[in-house]
Amino acid sequence: MRLSISRYDPEHDRAPHLQDFEIEPADSDHMLLDVLLRLKAQDNTLTFRKSCREGVCGSDAMNINGRNGLACITRINGLKQPVVLRPLPSFPIVRDLVVDMTNFFKQYHSIAPYLINSDPSPQTERLQSPEDRDKLNGAYECILCACCSSQCPSFWWNPDKFVGPAGLIQAYRFIFDSRDQATHQRLDDLNDAYRLFRCRTIMNCSEVCPKGLEPAHAIEMIRLKMLGVDKEGGLEVHRVPPIG
Amino acid sequence: MARSRPVFLNPMQIQMPVGALASIVHRTTGILLAASVPFDVYLLDLSLRSEHTFAQIANWLALPAVKVVALALIWALAHHALAGIRHLLTDVGIGSTLNAARRSAWLVNLGGVVTALLAAGVLL
Amino acid sequence: MLAFMVFVLGTLWLHPRPSYLEWRSWVGRPGVSIFVLIFFAALLSHIWVGLRDVLLDYARPAGLRGFLLGALGAGLLGTAAWVVWIVLRAQH
Repeated sequence: MRLSISRYDPEHDRAPHLQDFEIEPADSDHMLLDVLLRLKAQDNTLTFRKSCREGVCGSDAMNINGRNGLACITRINGLKQPVVLRPLPSFPIVRDLVVDMTNFFKQYHSIAPYLINSDPSPQTERLQSPEDRDKLNGAYECILCACCSSQCPSFWWNPDKFVGPAGLIQAYRFIFDSRDQATHQRLDDLNDAYRLFRCRTIMNCSEVCPKGLEPAHAIEMIRLKMLGVDKEGGLEVHRVPPIG
Repeated sequence: MARSRPVFLNPMQIQMPVGALASIVHRTTGILLAASVPFDVYLLDLSLRSEHTFAQIANWLALPAVKVVALALIWALAHHALAGIRHLLTDVGIGSTLNAARRSAWLVNLGGVVTALLAAGVLL
Repeated sequence: MLAFMVFVLGTLWLHPRPSYLEWRSWVGRPGVSIFVLIFFAALLSHIWVGLRDVLLDYARPAGLRGFLLGALGAGLLGTAAWVVWIVLRAQH
């Protein structure tokens, strides 16, 4: 199996460059992350983030043959070779495939990602019907891997002012939560020329989400809610096509 | 802190799905069409000004090179209008899920080209 | 705007190759003149919304952005005035 991986050592390199690797995957290697870990035996300076190895932590998000995805759930069978691995687009590169996520998380924090409810805390839970809980499907599953925001041209051009698809699908998760009391303020906060409205429904976000979520549709629902329209239906989760 | 960090942002090396293509062409055709408006208003002006200028324009529009430019603008208008309708529909929630959006993007991209071909048949 | 364009295309198809006098008197008809003015009002507002969006995306320094938006606004208003003048001139 042949790979071309973006390398960058801030101490020695002026710019990132591709380095070629050749490796024989073992029978037990099914996913790209397995191969990357085996590559560390060839070159232990190869640097990337990884943790859960099952597609729920979001650490190993990277650009694979031009399209963002999670290395741990990307099958090597069917990947076009040489497999080109680059860091997430538009995020500052710390080293090799590791990027600086500071701005991404700043946008996430800016949408107040916590329940706002000033009623006194009940003895057990704040109650919510199964129907109301279902309204969060398709948004709560977001693992903040940044595949969507880093594939969004609007986020490339204005990362400091546009919240981005990840932040916005998280905003959806709280705006449509029946237990949250700050809906009006949340919608007001997003109502300027940049925070939400840089979204041009290019839809790269929905294309690349490794969990099959659809931030573009969530953003659409927030727009309608700003106008006072409460559309039925909630969000879909689609089957994620394999990266080629 | 550290000196400025590099970024990876080469659009040629990043996949462009069909919806992204429809979107960037919508923007580009919009700019093209907007740039042509002052010129179109000038044509309107001349066509109404006098018998002489009207005839000048009629002759000028018959030139093949001009017809090709007109064809390009017709394609631009067709794509822009179809993509615009697609936008209006997603704004009211029709076709904003991924699979529906992919289908409508294909329709828009093809529809623009088909309209241009039909116009070519009429004009040329 | 779409309706207007279909209307013009339809009329041209039914009466192809008008002479100068036919063309001018058709545009000068009050109904058509008003339709033309409404079309351009819609078109220029549409251009404002679209190009403003492009400028907001790509013109990052605030001063440059403000200047370009002002220039765009002035250009569109100028074009609107020009169209009004053309249509008035074509009246009988």
